[in-house]
Amino acid sequence: MTDTVISLEKATKLYSGVAAIEDIDFDLWRGEIHALVGENGAGKSTLTKVMAGVVTLSSGTMKIDGKEAAPSTPLEARHLGVAMVFQENSLVPTMTVAQNLFLGQERYFNRLRGINIAAQQFLQSLNFDVSPTAVVDTLGAAKKQMVEIARAVLHKAKVIIFDEPTASLTPEERKYFFDLVRNLKGRGVSIIFISHALEEALELADRITVLRDSKAVVTDDAANFDRARIVKAMVGRDLSDTLYGTKKTTVRRAGKRVLTIQNLKMAPMVKNNSLSVFAGQVTGVFGLVGAGRTETFKIVAGVIKRDFFHGGEVILHQKPVRYRVPAPAIKAGIAYITEDRKAEGFFETFSIARNIYLGLLAKFPKGRAILSKREQTQAGSNWIERLNVRAIGDAAKMIELSGGNQQKVVIAKSLVQEPDIIIFDEPTRGVDVGAIEEIHELINRLADEGKAVVMISSYLPEVMGLSDRILVSRQGKVVEELSALEATEEKIMYAAIH
Amino acid sequence: MKNFRVTQQEIVLVVFVALFAICSVFLNGFLTTDNILTLLQNVAVLGILGLAMAIVVIGRGIDISLIAALAVPPGLVLQLVQYGYTLPFAISLGLGIAIIFGLVNGWLIAYAEVPSLFATLATGIFFAGLGQAFLFELEVVQWSEGMNGFEWLGQGSLLGVPMPIVMFGIACLAVAFLLRRTRVGAYIYAIGDNLAASRVTGIPVRPIVVLQYVLAALIGCFAGLVLASSVNSMPTRIYSSTLIYDVILVVVLGGIGLSGGKGGVINVILGTLLIGTMLNSMTIMDLPYAAQNLFKGIVLLIAVIADTLLNPRNEETAQQGDI
Repeated sequence: MTDTVISLEKATKLYSGVAAIEDIDFDLWRGEIHALVGENGAGKSTLTKVMAGVVTLSSGTMKIDGKEAAPSTPLEARHLGVAMVFQENSLVPTMTVAQNLFLGQERYFNRLRGINIAAQQFLQSLNFDVSPTAVVDTLGAAKKQMVEIARAVLHKAKVIIFDEPTASLTPEERKYFFDLVRNLKGRGVSIIFISHALEEALELADRITVLRDSKAVVTDDAANFDRARIVKAMVGRDLSDTLYGTKKTTVRRAGKRVLTIQNLKMAPMVKNNSLSVFAGQVTGVFGLVGAGRTETFKIVAGVIKRDFFHGGEVILHQKPVRYRVPAPAIKAGIAYITEDRKAEGFFETFSIARNIYLGLLAKFPKGRAILSKREQTQAGSNWIERLNVRAIGDAAKMIELSGGNQQKVVIAKSLVQEPDIIIFDEPTRGVDVGAIEEIHELINRLADEGKAVVMISSYLPEVMGLSDRILVSRQGKVVEELSALEATEEKIMYAAIH
Repeated sequence: MKNFRVTQQEIVLVVFVALFAICSVFLNGFLTTDNILTLLQNVAVLGILGLAMAIVVIGRGIDISLIAALAVPPGLVLQLVQYGYTLPFAISLGLGIAIIFGLVNGWLIAYAEVPSLFATLATGIFFAGLGQAFLFELEVVQWSEGMNGFEWLGQGSLLGVPMPIVMFGIACLAVAFLLRRTRVGAYIYAIGDNLAASRVTGIPVRPIVVLQYVLAALIGCFAGLVLASSVNSMPTRIYSSTLIYDVILVVVLGGIGLSGGKGGVINVILGTLLIGTMLNSMTIMDLPYAAQNLFKGIVLLIAVIADTLLNPRNEETAQQGDI
């Protein structure tokens, strides 16, 4: 009989009333490699965060080694034998590898030489080629990951959770990582890994669980899966009729070239990136995490700055421009709708109307030195109706809205500025299914009206269903340009991965 | 009632009414017209400073150098008049130096990106030192003949209301108009709520931050002029007093969250009244100065804790978008 390390029953986690995971039953066996796959926002991250003690369940139970457990901090989870390797590194960048390994375990008097020797022995026993005296900041992504893994093993983790472990790795590093995971499995450690790359899941995992819309749809042996079955389970229907409409059969003709980027550089994320954007079209920009898409367009919108020397050129309507702050870019008709609306998208304690009115004030300050309540209410109700924002009341604060409605307000705040170039960065991230469709309709409508629309997305069906032109980005530059008619998932993926 | 939620403002109002009622009942001579007017007169300058602080705190900053702005430019005005310069010249020079001071603060915070607490701590010490070292002959700058006619700002009364209170009222109206009814006010709230989002929305964040500190310095200077004309001198040693803590107390106690984007003039008025009542009752009870400080310290601590509890910014909400 298989031995269960972690089991979840009817696990539910609500974020202000919206379920991130709902009634999930999940078992993890000892010494297995278990892959979690699903779309963005399906609940994979939340499920693993529950096990790693980052968030606690709203309802349902979790058992670790047969005992009920509800770790409320990552430290508690670690004591229970569960360690998580996060997407973003959780190492202290200014400390050495050895210091990081023993962080939190120091004795009262700490001898550097002692921990260096211990770290060296330990790393060698794992066959890791990392120097214990190297400062973490100087290491590459793969080595940082090794240190994270080593730390988890050192802490005698029975379960190690990886969130998108291979996103930032080169193919050789990825192969090495696979060997490592198999090695850990041989030691009796259970592995959970979240992955967007289905091939990885199929190759590496013993079992696969597919999540969709906050629920676990299916769990089965990896051998019983193939690509088509996973995709079908992820999407809930065959690819031919996804939520994102059928594959395009017609594309919009390119209008005037409004934006050209030449040899744009911002170390280390953007490297000699060149591309063009045309009016009256949706230009989809696809790429994996770290492909430099967001950074490229943030430079265009003045949110961040390119390299001062050899930074390349941004040409807007045949004129080279360089914006130090977003305000002049907005005046020039560029709208950037952020991927992180919580951090830089909206004003959480303000009403919907005030959020939208602020967009108006920022773009058209003339004649608006004194505020007009009437204009604010009008702008608010006008856009609430146009974008179908659902709120408890007119005075509802942004923080009380669901993700989809928040996103709509952020979009309204930009559209009220009457832009010609609209850059959507992951427009449907963390957005409920109903709102996704509405946002997609809006994107199409904007392109039909003749605006130049750029849509950055990590989600293939979204890119393929909406774009007229698809740019594929990899490691800081656009490497492939496809018309929507000739694009296939395979072609796009092939270009995005090495 | 399911939708019943207490706001910080209501809590402060209740506390104030309770304290006022207790004082009226138990303290002899508290509830007399004379005493109430004295109470208000004593806190008028504090209230004006509270308005200056409020503008900065709403924009998620803090201005520790406010007392220097209160002491140095008005001190300079009095000193120049002593030397025989005309009053208009002295006042315009005083206001000019206050504006420059605000610009320096704002530039450090907005462009050099020094945290406001440290920037204003340093500039405040520098500015006060500059005044004491080069500008003033004595620590208390005396009123002189040339100033006559100017004392109406802090002495006498209008329709029975002492002038400092009238000045506080005027300042309240002006700041309330700025914060609630103008575009600049809307920008200040937006920056306090979410600086990154303000920037991406196209709000000129840096100029507005600079403007906040210039306004704070100017209002501080105005408070100093009111103070100087009500006591007929400028005691520049006020910089070394604990006045700045009282100002922070007014703002935090009144319910302007230190996390920014919230509150307004009404909160400053409430905070000022509450502090005024507290100080006045302690004076009537004849509490020693040290005990008063102890008490104020405890109240400030409670207010800051309540602020943190009522306006939480915890991880759960911060990660909401990331499901």
